[in-house]
Amino acid sequence: MGNFSVITVSREVESLGDEVALRLSRILGYELINREQWMVLLEGHSPALSPEPPEEEGERERWMAEVGKLLEELAEKRAFVLLGRGGQKLLARCAKAFHLLVVAPVPVRLRRIMERYRQDEVTASRILAEQDRQREKFLLRFFGVDWRNPLHYHFVLNTAFYDVEESCQLVLEAMKRTRPPVSGQQESFFTREGFLEKPVVFSHPSEEEFARILDFYGIRWLYEPRTFPLEWDSEGNVVEAFAPDFYLPDFDLFIELTTQKQKLTWRKNRKIRKLKELYPEVKIKVVYARDYEHILRKFDLEDDHE
Amino acid sequence: MSDPRLGTRVFTREEIQRRVEEVAREIDRDYKGERPVIIVILRGAVYFAVDLTRALTIPFDLDFMALSPFRLGLRRAEIEKDVDVDLKGRHVLILEDIVDTGLTLNFLVRNLERRLPQSVRVCSFLNCPVRRIAEVEVHYFCFEIPDIYVVGYGLDFRGDFRNLQEVYALYDPSGRSTQVLKQMGKGR
Repeated sequence: MGNFSVITVSREVESLGDEVALRLSRILGYELINREQWMVLLEGHSPALSPEPPEEEGERERWMAEVGKLLEELAEKRAFVLLGRGGQKLLARCAKAFHLLVVAPVPVRLRRIMERYRQDEVTASRILAEQDRQREKFLLRFFGVDWRNPLHYHFVLNTAFYDVEESCQLVLEAMKRTRPPVSGQQESFFTREGFLEKPVVFSHPSEEEFARILDFYGIRWLYEPRTFPLEWDSEGNVVEAFAPDFYLPDFDLFIELTTQKQKLTWRKNRKIRKLKELYPEVKIKVVYARDYEHILRKFDLEDDHE
Repeated sequence: MSDPRLGTRVFTREEIQRRVEEVAREIDRDYKGERPVIIVILRGAVYFAVDLTRALTIPFDLDFMALSPFRLGLRRAEIEKDVDVDLKGRHVLILEDIVDTGLTLNFLVRNLERRLPQSVRVCSFLNCPVRRIAEVEVHYFCFEIPDIYVVGYGLDFRGDFRNLQEVYALYDPSGRSTQVLKQMGKGR
């Protein structure tokens, strides 16, 4: 279908997402990968590969990389609709994947549960809240995704207004009209918390840890996004520059993290003084080793650094 | 106190009592005719909250919130204990033990603002603006402190010292904390 051989379908409980996924797979002749097929697929690839991401972070990263690669390779050979499983995250960088989110308002979903399972409103609302919570927790915990964020998707569909057939027609039309992404561009569209999903190579473990703390509190950041020229030679070539470690766009603040002892930071301090003179509008905060120790102590992380 | 982990005493019991009373008067004045929801952030702010709320004369609703502590492996902070009252249209006053980096408080304020309260204000026992990373406005505070690690009156070090009635600097072998406090006129 157009440029897309894969559709990932993320859906709220009782949003008709399962029905839309099944119908789309039939209309397009794409294979449907639901929970059962997912287990078969992973077991066929490697019996040691668990169907769910592992709890331990290092193992989870390896799992994500392996499963992501498997799906990308599969996308080259076969056309499929992937239902749930964090597909929007696993295939965020795949230009062949169209990411669809299916939602519906709570009263609509509640009514569907009551009708489908013949439950009263109280029981249905408890089921809905529990399933919503489980889904949210699964995706946040294992994939770091606020999955309801529309910026993770090409198309968000509210089935309060459309039945399954109409929904599928809208999706097919959207797929047809979606311009193919420029190579390498797609990954920057489907972002971590709607912001950045480029793999970052930190130059120091403390920076990575600091980034995790920022992520934990939902503070958006960019790593070394700007280099400030500080000194030029007579021909106008930059001979000295400074790139602060982080930029926090919500506070328009640059952060420079230094774990050197304060008396060894004179070179960096000189650069920062220069930066402030040349760019007085730039807000920058230096987190010195002492400040960083305070942060680690506050978050009970210092034992790892002693 | 003879614990070797404790350094200079920063605030005495009397100083704390006096400032808590003064801050309570400010809050009484600002919320006159209102009934704010006071949200105590567990666990450090409990000691401060008890003294402060007993000194208030305005009516208020009291509730508690707890945020999951930062743990490697847990990607996002979660509300472990949420308030029971509906905050829509209410004046909310958050009570904290200390605001330093502002990361926790910024997260909480954003979370609470999504519940459409009429206002959200922050009252902290201690304010340490030199360590601030995330922008947050602290409307009321008892003491502003420099860049030192303090314990007591709810503030802990690895779970210890919360129950001290006075505030102490944690012992700093470099001598820097003592020096900074001397400049504040604290300690010998």
